[in-house]
Amino acid sequence: MKQTLMGNDAIALGMIHSNIDMVSGYPGTPSSEILTNVQKLKAQLKLDLYAQWATNEKVGFEVAYAGAIAGRRAAATMKQVGLNVASDPLMSAAYIGNLGAFVLIVADDPGFHSSQTEQDSRVFAKFAKIPVLDPATPQDAYDFVSLAVDISEKFQTPTMLRPVMRVCHARQIVEVKENHEFNPKKGKFQREISRWAAVPRAGRLRQGYEMIDRINAIKEYNWEELIKPEFEACKGGKLLVLTSGTGYGFAKEALEDLGIKADIVKFKMPYPLPENKIREQFANYEHILVVEEPMACIEEQIMASNVHGRLDNTMNVIDELQKIYIQDALTKLGLYKGENLYPSIPFKDEIPARPPNLCPGCPHRDVYYSIMKVFKKKKSIYPSDIGCYTLAINQEAIDTVLCMGASVSMASGFSIADPEKYTVATIGDSTFFHGGIPPLINAVYQKHKFLLVILDNSVVAMTGRQKPPQRQNGEVDIVKIAEGCGAETYEYVYSNDLNDTISFFKKMKEKYENATGPIVAVVREFCVLDKEVVGQHIHGEFAKVIAEECVACDHCTTIYKCPPMGYNEEGKVEIDPFLCIGCGSCLNVVCPTEAFTVDEERSK
Amino acid sequence: MRYQVVIAGFGGQGSVFLVKILALCAGNKNVACLGTENHGMSQRGGAVSCTIKLGDYSNPIIDPSQADLLIGLEKNEALRNINYLKPSGTLAVNAEDSFPKDDVSAKVIQIDAFTKAKNREFPIQGLNVYMLGVVLAKCEDFPFTLEDVKEALVQFNPKVAQENIEVLEKAIEDIKGK
Repeated sequence: MKQTLMGNDAIALGMIHSNIDMVSGYPGTPSSEILTNVQKLKAQLKLDLYAQWATNEKVGFEVAYAGAIAGRRAAATMKQVGLNVASDPLMSAAYIGNLGAFVLIVADDPGFHSSQTEQDSRVFAKFAKIPVLDPATPQDAYDFVSLAVDISEKFQTPTMLRPVMRVCHARQIVEVKENHEFNPKKGKFQREISRWAAVPRAGRLRQGYEMIDRINAIKEYNWEELIKPEFEACKGGKLLVLTSGTGYGFAKEALEDLGIKADIVKFKMPYPLPENKIREQFANYEHILVVEEPMACIEEQIMASNVHGRLDNTMNVIDELQKIYIQDALTKLGLYKGENLYPSIPFKDEIPARPPNLCPGCPHRDVYYSIMKVFKKKKSIYPSDIGCYTLAINQEAIDTVLCMGASVSMASGFSIADPEKYTVATIGDSTFFHGGIPPLINAVYQKHKFLLVILDNSVVAMTGRQKPPQRQNGEVDIVKIAEGCGAETYEYVYSNDLNDTISFFKKMKEKYENATGPIVAVVREFCVLDKEVVGQHIHGEFAKVIAEECVACDHCTTIYKCPPMGYNEEGKVEIDPFLCIGCGSCLNVVCPTEAFTVDEERSK
Repeated sequence: MRYQVVIAGFGGQGSVFLVKILALCAGNKNVACLGTENHGMSQRGGAVSCTIKLGDYSNPIIDPSQADLLIGLEKNEALRNINYLKPSGTLAVNAEDSFPKDDVSAKVIQIDAFTKAKNREFPIQGLNVYMLGVVLAKCEDFPFTLEDVKEALVQFNPKVAQENIEVLEKAIEDIKGK
């Protein structure tokens, strides 16, 4: 049966069609829709399976992995930087293995479309010594889920599925199974202390040898089942292209465009590779070009004198692949002498940049504006974190962004390193749960003095509005957590009147002066994209600008920075009616000349 | 058949929706397609560009100088992506009359949809569908018909399909009368 699917839809459907019945993960672009789609399919088809978000990737990994130890078919989903968080259980799980299936789905982001770092999770699989499958398209992504389940069960090893953003967010007509009857397994944990609880050195060393044997057996399997048929179809000649995942699509199209005949071998499983058997094939070719992204995973395994790729600078060394990089590589190898088929001629004039910004009506904007107004730019350090609120960087209200939860621990560090300044850290609710709690405990433990503002909009907004723990059921309470950590904790319920928010932070500044350890401000907010709650908070109070009062001071467009605000041809600020959502937040404080007023006509 | 389309706009304008509709059109006509879209940071009012390649392709990204059609949901986003268009391609753009047509080597179909939406001639949420109507009316090599698009709109969401079809037809009328 054919269906038009996005890669992440295809992976979710592939999971159901492979009878995976335990899925856990943490959202992160480009992986987020995988688990969301499993949840949708569960509801639509009334399936008996577990599909839930975890508080972070390590937790998600461990929940699902326990399922696989107990004999079920389980999967964990995350993005590449999430794997860093889950790397601790991964390294051990690779030694221990599993009884059922454990599919670790990690979405990579070559080209940094929405990530702090590029990373290649195939290299991580190689580091951990687990097999990894690299889909090129949504069709591959669907097919490879069941292949991953088979390999994981056959070899009793965690198996990684590594799609990149251009697979996760690609859209294609995919051939899928029809009338699948979902058949979940019953979990049955079998006690085997020497396996599941092996301790160094004797137990783990034995498992280490088993892991090496396993990976060698998978190399054999990779050759016999997946690679040999590809080489059997090859003809030999000047050029052999070795590739996996999206590299295949780029290579195939570039060779067609450039009119160059070459053999292409696509590795479905780029690690572990039977390197010697592959090298035996090299005698039939003048040049071997490895096309892969974002790192040299295949190339490192099969290095030889006539192999070219990222390691010898024949291909690009960072950033997403483009066909022009392949054209350049072929030019360097003397295999292409024609014109540049992909000239990029930009528009002759400069086009204004359009940086992502906090949504119109977003409470974060008011909170950051108030913090800056009270604590001042020059007198304070503002460590922040990963989430929508990172966009307050446009208001210059953020000084550092490192990784999930680091705002809190870095606030500790700044308070020690530069105690003359105020340190005001900001973090979202989901990020606080993910990685912010241990550093808060540490700060209380060691009496680090800073203000931590937890912006609680009760949704993981940036990745598609997943529900965080306090939303799912009311038993988790951030205020109680912060209090339980021992921090002096205050709560503020956001109001659209900026005066209220500023007063609250003035109070926080007073508390700061007398504090001996961290103080926490939990700001209860909402997300303007959150349809369930937005109606209670946005009342359709639209603003307009009295042109005579506007002195073009830039204050609203550079410091408050709400997207509808911009200059018109007369040089006065105007509110774009298509963008304004009527929150009324800009009516107080923002304009030094009080040019903002209620647009009675629109507010009716 | 081989046909490559870039859709450029900014967060909230519905570029992604258009890709979904075109993918459905392709599916219904049994034409292979491969598309991609930007998510994440670009959702918050940032530039968003989506691509769809119709026919026998193996990679979803469109390279510079390769697109047959560029749909610009906004003037600057159209110009930002102009390098993806073939010199012989078509640009369908929502922009005022002052749009610098002469500086673009491709064929330009320009219409000021923002002003029409401001005058409440159609709901602004339908801007993407409106621009698709403009393409259907004026882009000769576009591989789908009005009927194909209508079918996909119904398939995608039968509840709002009628409103969208009205926007589509309004666009066709407007651009023909221009």
